[in-house]
Amino acid sequence: MHEKSSDVLAHLPDGERRASVFWSEAGVRYARVFSGVAVLALGVAVVLLSRRLPYHSDYGPGPGFLPTWIGYVLSACAIVVTAQELRAPPTAEEFFRPRTRLAVKVLAAIGVTFLLVPFLGFSLALGLLIGVTMRMMGSHRWLACGVAAAVAAVGIHYVFGRSLDIPLPTGLVGF
Amino acid sequence: MMDLLHNLQQGFATALTFQNILYCSFGVFFGQMIGVLPGIGAPTAIALLLPLTFTVDSTSAIIMFAGIYYGVAYGGTITSILINVPGESSTVMTCLDGYQMALQGRAGAALSVAAIGSWIAGTASTVLLMAFAPSLARFAIRFGPAEFFSLTVMAFGLLTVFGGENPFKVVISTMIGLLLTTVGIDVVGGMPRFTFGVPQLLGGLDFIVVVCGMFGVAEVFNSIEQPEEGGDRIKGKPRLRDMFLTWEDWVASRWAIFRGTVIGFLIGLIPAGGITTASFIAYLSEKRYAKHPERFGRGAIEGVAAPESANNAASISGFAPLLALGIPGSATTAVMLAGFMMWGIRPGPLLFSTHPKLVWGLIASMYIGNFLLLLMNIFLIPLFTAMLRVPYSIMMGGIVIFSSVGAFSVNNNLFDVWMMLGFALLAYVMLKLGYPIVPLILALVLGKLSENSLRQALMISGGTFSIFATRPISAVFLGAAALAYMAPLFRWALARRRATALAP
Repeated sequence: MHEKSSDVLAHLPDGERRASVFWSEAGVRYARVFSGVAVLALGVAVVLLSRRLPYHSDYGPGPGFLPTWIGYVLSACAIVVTAQELRAPPTAEEFFRPRTRLAVKVLAAIGVTFLLVPFLGFSLALGLLIGVTMRMMGSHRWLACGVAAAVAAVGIHYVFGRSLDIPLPTGLVGF
Repeated sequence: MMDLLHNLQQGFATALTFQNILYCSFGVFFGQMIGVLPGIGAPTAIALLLPLTFTVDSTSAIIMFAGIYYGVAYGGTITSILINVPGESSTVMTCLDGYQMALQGRAGAALSVAAIGSWIAGTASTVLLMAFAPSLARFAIRFGPAEFFSLTVMAFGLLTVFGGENPFKVVISTMIGLLLTTVGIDVVGGMPRFTFGVPQLLGGLDFIVVVCGMFGVAEVFNSIEQPEEGGDRIKGKPRLRDMFLTWEDWVASRWAIFRGTVIGFLIGLIPAGGITTASFIAYLSEKRYAKHPERFGRGAIEGVAAPESANNAASISGFAPLLALGIPGSATTAVMLAGFMMWGIRPGPLLFSTHPKLVWGLIASMYIGNFLLLLMNIFLIPLFTAMLRVPYSIMMGGIVIFSSVGAFSVNNNLFDVWMMLGFALLAYVMLKLGYPIVPLILALVLGKLSENSLRQALMISGGTFSIFATRPISAVFLGAAALAYMAPLFRWALARRRATALAP
């Protein structure tokens, strides 16, 4: 079952709780309205970019035909969605949930891992990611995380690199 | 009839080879496992395995993926009944009565009726698929570009009915999917579109990269926010002797299984119908027409039998539009379509004549797979419940590894891995804001077919759009699409009328 936000909030320090409540209440409304505006911007951009492509060709519709219409439909729907979100009653849903920060941390860890691939190699970088995310997510000890990271790195190297012959990038250590 | 039996015999000859039995067994076991684990679904599982099967025989790989697909529907039931957490969206309705049965000490009967119902529905649906799909393919041979374009428009239209709560958000998601298919060199004119000078984008966006991000890594972020671990909340660990149904249980559930099978089969045939919709409709209709509807939600065995039969029947019949028309009915079949294309096979009207070994081997494997699942669901329940104790912090690492390797292996470059992460972020934000992902994925798969058919049809007609209305089959599809797009309007009008009637 989903973790109740209020239960989690109760365990947070005062400052963090106030921030979470603010972002929960205001965040979802602004985010949804903003999503409509963002889609509208995308629709307009698609129409403008499609104008650089021929709308007609010698053989019928040109490469700009479909994207132009996609842009129009996106813009029209975005206007409706924005209007809907502006008129929508307050919702109990939240955009920034208590564990959103953790999800963002994991996202950042994955990003850093991909940046490290040219230096550490694919297997080692992803192995490291496993150890780090295990530590971030659960109450695993550093030793367990380290062992998991090493096992994952060796596993990736042998399963994907050797057995399946995928030419995974190697880093400075050649692994 | 003789043709059918001959084809089936050929199919069994293919499916019963050692290699294909092995792939089928692995598929159903893996599918069952995925179904048990909350936070990872069939499209994710298939998308993650797809790049790793480049070198495998296409028939074996597709048999395995099909096994995963219908195995997931079985597996999701276990968590629904034992911990009140649906492993899959298609088993949400099973929670209502299944968990109540578990609380009453009847978990074994609930699991058993789900397994038997699923097996009967899966087998019956395979028989119907065998009879129906070739006829559909023969009919679809008449389709030209106009019909294919209208068919894709109808599929997109049906998404507004089944694809999400807000039809405008469904259309936006569909349009973003279509837009993504336009990235790369235009196949007709040879002109680059939306590549922004990035050479890696000239070949277009690879489906596997998008799916690994949107279903794989995005699912990790969502699961972190909404943890669903529940190994310590298992209710009523069933013993083997509890797994056999009593005569009363069978009498109470047999017609529910039959009705669930029929509803599931019919809904599975509709592009975008989906197995979740099938289970919802089967449960609601069973409750509506029951002699004692008040029993539902309190441990009625029919409340488990009907949705479980429906979701399995729909998962099998969903192959009919995929194989005969080349139109996927769900996210999972969309990913499978990408797999077909990866092996250079284009599902559609000609598939039955060009690749009979594959099609009939796949159909025959469904009988074998469903039987294996029945056995697994009776004898391996303790093993699958033990899997629930694997912490998500470990499981998510596996998902990220498979997604990253999958995205990398498409073109052997890191650019695709970054793209995958970008799509994961997009899906994560979209889901948080109420934009469904499935329409985007279906549009991504069907976009090229849709645009190429549109342009070919207009070339044939000399640029006149009336070709879509004057060809009868195309006109029917467009009519159905128009109705589908108007369905939310009807729903809104109906709700308004009800509200007015209820107002004092």
